[in-house]
Amino acid sequence: MTGVPVLSVRNIRRSFGEHAALDGVSLDVAQGEVVAVIGPSGSGKSTLVRCVHQLEPIDSGAMYLDGELLGHEHAGDRVRPLPPRRVAEQRRRMGMVFQQFQLFPHWTVTRNITEAQVRVHGRDRAQAHERAVELLAKVGLADKADAYSRQLSGGQQQRVAIARALATRPRIMLLDEPTSALDPELVDEVLTVIRDLAAAGLTMIIVTHEIAFALEVADRFVFMDRGRVVEQGPVADVLGDGRSDRLRAFLSRYTQQRGSAREEGARV
Amino acid sequence: MTTTATPHDLGHVDVATARPRPRPWRWLLGALIAVGLAQVAWFVTHNPRFEWPVVAEYLFDPNVLAGLGTSVLLTVVAMLAGSVLGVLLALGQLADFGPVRWVCTLYIGLFRGIPPLVQLLFWFNLAYLLPRLSIGVPFGPTFGSWSTNDLITPLTAALIGLTLHEAAYMAEIVRAGILSVDPGQRDAAMAMGFTGGQTFLRVVLPQAMRVIIPPSGSQFISLLKGTSLVSVIAMTDLLHAVQTVYNQTYQIVPMLIVACFWYLVVVTALSFLQQRLERRFGRGQRSTRGEWLA
Ligand SMILES: Nc1ncnc2c1ncn2[C@@H]1O[C@H](COP(=O)(O)OP(=O)(O)O)[C@@H](O)[C@H]1O
Ligand SMILES: [Mg+2]
Repeated sequence: MTGVPVLSVRNIRRSFGEHAALDGVSLDVAQGEVVAVIGPSGSGKSTLVRCVHQLEPIDSGAMYLDGELLGHEHAGDRVRPLPPRRVAEQRRRMGMVFQQFQLFPHWTVTRNITEAQVRVHGRDRAQAHERAVELLAKVGLADKADAYSRQLSGGQQQRVAIARALATRPRIMLLDEPTSALDPELVDEVLTVIRDLAAAGLTMIIVTHEIAFALEVADRFVFMDRGRVVEQGPVADVLGDGRSDRLRAFLSRYTQQRGSAREEGARV
Repeated sequence: MTTTATPHDLGHVDVATARPRPRPWRWLLGALIAVGLAQVAWFVTHNPRFEWPVVAEYLFDPNVLAGLGTSVLLTVVAMLAGSVLGVLLALGQLADFGPVRWVCTLYIGLFRGIPPLVQLLFWFNLAYLLPRLSIGVPFGPTFGSWSTNDLITPLTAALIGLTLHEAAYMAEIVRAGILSVDPGQRDAAMAMGFTGGQTFLRVVLPQAMRVIIPPSGSQFISLLKGTSLVSVIAMTDLLHAVQTVYNQTYQIVPMLIVACFWYLVVVTALSFLQQRLERRFGRGQRSTRGEWLA
């Protein structure tokens, strides 16, 4: 695919004290592309998506959404941080799904999906409601419209969270380990929803430990370790001989673990 | 005693037909409570020194009701103004701009530390420090100026003193409430494009309310009782109104009962309000009895 990438991350760094959680990460995501980010725990995957969504500041580098600089504006020959209101405007063009769902427990499922449309995008309630109905049907939860999040299973909560993120038609979706907090038997219902989104051509970055799933839906994978992108490329290459030793070690450890977990687990 | 069934017996028992277990201690405790209550009731109704007719006579006395009105007015205004100021102070304490944080922490330390009685006297005597109050540019021209003695009446001194005191306590309650909300909720709201203000007012504060309401209820009740302090600056609150009566008639006990009656009425109303609010902000939670609040 040609043209300006939807998201372009250029050599970003983010440190917590001495420790560099992101140590010069670059990444482009083209329109309609699904990128799977894999890597061991603590390698900086969450920090990467949080920085892209501007929930964390970056120390250096730059990020662009549809060619527009994220978080900063040009002022003379340098750049300066955007005011919070403009940052909020930029965030509205991205959707985020968290490992711990983070539905708003004091609102019903429908209100979770409509509130940002109304307050942030200025749609009227009826329109927002229509969209909520449509999205809930899409994630298979039409009957849960009036439930509160604590009345739902983890898998159902995550499907609502995905619907909520989709409600405002984001340019790109960022999913941070969307199935890691779920009981094994609930993973598939969420993966099915994500698979449908990929098939519909939504641009996504998915941080995941579901290697088999990543191989299936992703166009490209990014392997991170210790704050760096160690390897990235088309999914086919993961299976090829070109992979690094670190990736090889990670994959073998992971497929082993997952394999045994699955045999024990309640998966049918 | 344990009954062990032989395989032959299995399936012969149905717990639906179980008899209640005898509970002798409950009977004894119930009897003790009944006797105790009966004794209290006898004492209250048969001791002539309670002077119930006097209680009845003064219960709706205009001066007593006026005092009650003053107490309720002071409580409600100080409660509302103190809560708003308390939320701002709590936010200030959590701000990432140092000077704001320090000022708010200093304020809370100061106003929680000074007894409210001292504060009331201080505000009432403000004219001694500042004979005139003016609005204008600091160290520059002034736009208006008033005599402090005209502005600081007993009512305004009481309102200022109680509000500032209340705000310091509310700030700590609200801060604890805000900290009780999962930071991931804030992330999720910001990620959806809500502004900081929307995130706080629509997502964080409503969830913090569950933690904020119960201690606030106690705080408001102690505020109501604290209004009895304002008699030192010549305000006629409920307690002062009944004191005025018994200073002339020496019917101390019945007049105190009149005051207690009205305090209890207002506290009961506040508790009812608290219960309603707890239900309102508990939506989406399971109650202690296991039912879903909606
Ligand atoms: N808020 C934070 N404060 C300090 N260290 C952090 C913070 N967030 C992440 N880190 C550190 O940054 C590194 C990367 O974390 P993270 O991005 O969460 O990794 P991953 O999602 O790949 O497991 C880890 O070493 C983690 O301890
Ligand atoms: Mg993570």
